[in-house]
Amino acid sequence: MTSPLIDVAGLQTYFPVRKGLLRRVVGAVRAVDGVSFSIQKGRTLGLVGESGCGKTTVGRSLLRLVEPTGGSVRFDGRDVLAAGGAEMRGLRRRMQIVFQDPYGSLNPRMKVRAILEEGLVIHRLGSAAERLERMTRALARTGLTAAALDRYPHEFSGGQRQRIAIARAIVIEPDFLVLDEPISALDVSIQAQVVNLLVELREQLGLTYLFISHDLSVVEYVSDDVAVMYLGRIVEQAPATRLYAEPLHPYTLALFSAVPSVEPDRRRRRIVLTGDVPSPARPPAGCRFHPRCPLAEQVCRQAEPPATVVDGHAVHCHVAAREVEQAGGDAVAAAARMAVLMAANGSAVAMPT
Amino acid sequence: MPLLEINNLVTTFHTPAGRVPAVDGVSLSIERGKTLGLVGESGCGKSVTAMSILRLVAAPGVIEAGEILLRDASGGVLNLVTLPEPRLREVRGGRIGMIFQEPMTSLNPVFTIGDQIAEAVLLHRDVSRAEARGRALEMLELVRMADPKRRLDEYPHQLSGGMRQRVVIAMALACEPDLIIADEPTTALDVTIQAQILDLLADLRERLGTAILLITHDLGVVAETCDDVAVMYAGRIVEQAPAAALFAKPRHPYTIGLLAARPDRGSRAGQKAGRAGENAGHATARLRTIPGMVPAPQHFPAGCRFHPRCAFARLPECAGAMPELREVATGHFVRCPYADALGEPRRSDSALEGIA
Repeated sequence: MTSPLIDVAGLQTYFPVRKGLLRRVVGAVRAVDGVSFSIQKGRTLGLVGESGCGKTTVGRSLLRLVEPTGGSVRFDGRDVLAAGGAEMRGLRRRMQIVFQDPYGSLNPRMKVRAILEEGLVIHRLGSAAERLERMTRALARTGLTAAALDRYPHEFSGGQRQRIAIARAIVIEPDFLVLDEPISALDVSIQAQVVNLLVELREQLGLTYLFISHDLSVVEYVSDDVAVMYLGRIVEQAPATRLYAEPLHPYTLALFSAVPSVEPDRRRRRIVLTGDVPSPARPPAGCRFHPRCPLAEQVCRQAEPPATVVDGHAVHCHVAAREVEQAGGDAVAAAARMAVLMAANGSAVAMPT
Repeated sequence: MPLLEINNLVTTFHTPAGRVPAVDGVSLSIERGKTLGLVGESGCGKSVTAMSILRLVAAPGVIEAGEILLRDASGGVLNLVTLPEPRLREVRGGRIGMIFQEPMTSLNPVFTIGDQIAEAVLLHRDVSRAEARGRALEMLELVRMADPKRRLDEYPHQLSGGMRQRVVIAMALACEPDLIIADEPTTALDVTIQAQILDLLADLRERLGTAILLITHDLGVVAETCDDVAVMYAGRIVEQAPAAALFAKPRHPYTIGLLAARPDRGSRAGQKAGRAGENAGHATARLRTIPGMVPAPQHFPAGCRFHPRCAFARLPECAGAMPELREVATGHFVRCPYADALGEPRRSDSALEGIA
C-alpha cells in the first residue's frame, strides 16, 4: 500500500459569527466539522452533498484558500497546514483548483495570455519562450488553440471559459486538482464535453482529483470513491460502484431517490425528506441528520453515530450499524434492509409510470 | 379545445447589432389540467416564449407575429397578443399564475409573506383585507408550509430557499388560475428540496386541476412531471410528443444527443487497466457529446438550425430549406426529414427490453 497523495484527518473549518458594535465573536458556523479522507495518486474522490453541507469549504481548506480551524492535511507526506509561505507556494504549484463559475473566476481585464502566464511567473517556471510553449500545450490539451492567448475571457462561451480555467490549472503541471462544481454552470450538451476533457486529462497527465459536485450521475461516472456530506460531516463513504449499488445511510438513500431520472425503471419511488437542512451554526445534537430522518430513534437524538466500516464502505448511522450487524457484515443485505425501511417509513411517493 | 394555444409566435429583439429572432414560429397547446414541459438549453428561447404569453417581454423585445389564445370553461377565447393592457392585467396573476426560478427576485424583501399573498388576492378579487389575509393563510396551508400562521408575519429573508419557493407557488395559486407558468421553478433548489416542490406541484395539479407550463433544462424533471414535452432549439420547436413516447423513443438528433450526453446510472469513465477487474463490462470510454455550441440568434445557420452540430446531417439538404415539423407517430412531431431513419431507442439496455 503506497501512501496516499492527499490525506485529510479530522479537518475542521469554522467561520466566526460576529455581532454587535464591537463585532465580537458570538459563535461559529461549523462549515466543516471533522472530515477525514485520503486519495491515492491517480484516483478521483467524488464529494457530494447539498448546498451548505461544506463540500466547497473542504476543497478550499485543502489549498488553504480558507484557513482550517483544526485537523490535518498532508499532501505527499507534507503537512499542508503547518507549511510556511515558501513551502506553501511550492505545494500550491502541485495543487490547483477549478471553480464553478467560469464567468467569475477569470479576470475580465486580463487576456488569456496573462491569465495563464501568471502562475508560471509566480512559480518561476521557464524562460519566456518556454512559458509560451507550456501555455500553448495547456491550451491544446483543453481543445483550444494558441489564438486564444490574445483574446479576453468575454470573447469566449461558458464552455470555452471553463476550458481556459482548466488550462490555467494544468499549465504549471500540478499533481492534484480540486474541481469545485466544474460543470454545474454549463449547458447539458457542453457538460459532457467538459467531463470528457477532465477524464482525458486524468488519463494523459496522471492527475488526482477531488471532484466536488451535487450532480450524482456525473460523480458516479468520474469517481473511483465517493463521500457524501451532510452539515459539515461525511455521513457515508465507499468505492463509487458500492455506494451507488448499496447505499446504507438514510440521507444517501433519500438523495439518490430524489434525483429525477429519464430512465423509467429508476423512477418507481421517491423518498421525500421533510424540512430543510438546519443551520451549521446550530447543528442538532446526536446524529446531525436526525431531524429529517424517517428512521430516527432515541439514540440518534443523543449520540453521534460512529463509523461502521464493512470492506471499505463506511457509514455513520445507528440504524445502518445495527442492520449491518444483524446481516452478519453483509453490506448488500444490510443495504436492501435499509431501502425497505426507508420505503416503509419515509414519506415515499409512488411515482407515476 | 386546449386551454392555451400558441400559434406561430414570433418574438424578436431589435438590438443595435441587428434583429434577433429569439422565438421564431413557435406553436404549442396545453390542455386543461395537463403539464407541458418546454425543454432546451440556455438561449433556445424557452423563457422568452413564457414571457410572451403574458406580454412581459422587455424592450427591445417585440411580439411580431402569431396568436396566443386562452380559453375559458364556457368557450370564450382571449387573444393575449392583442388584448388591451388593462384586461391583460386581469389575466396576469388571475387566470395565469407565474413561478420564476429565483424566488427571492419575485418576492419583495420589505413586505411580509402575508401581505404579498394578500395583495395578489386583493388585485383580482373583490374581498376585504381580512378576507385576503385569511386566503393567504389558506394558501400557505395548501402549499404545506410548516407553521403557516407564524410565516404570515415573516419576511422573505427569514425563510429558506425551499420555503420561499412555496410562498411564490402560494401567490401564483391564490386566485385559482387555470394555468401556471413555471420557469425553472426548482433549478435554484437542492435536489431533496426540488423533490418536495415537484411533489407539491403534482399534488396541487391533481387537487385543483391547474394546467402547468413547466420550463426547464432538466430532462429528468420533465420525465417525472410532464404529460407532454416540447424540445426547443435555436428559437424553434424541434420535437414534440407525449412524455412517455419522447423518452422511450426520441426522434430528433438534438433530443437524442441531449439524452445521450448524460451519464447513465452505473456507467463509468474508462480508466486504467488496474481497475478493470473491479468494473469490467461497465466501463465506457467517453460520454457522447454534441459538438460545438448553441449558436447565437444573430448567427442562426440556414436550413436546419441544428445541422452544423448534427451527427446525422446530410449535406447539402440539411443546409438548404428549414425542415417542417411533421408527425411521425400519433402526437409525435419532429422537425427532421430523416427522423424515421434514425429513430433508434436511446439505449438497447436489456432491462428495458425485458419490460417491453
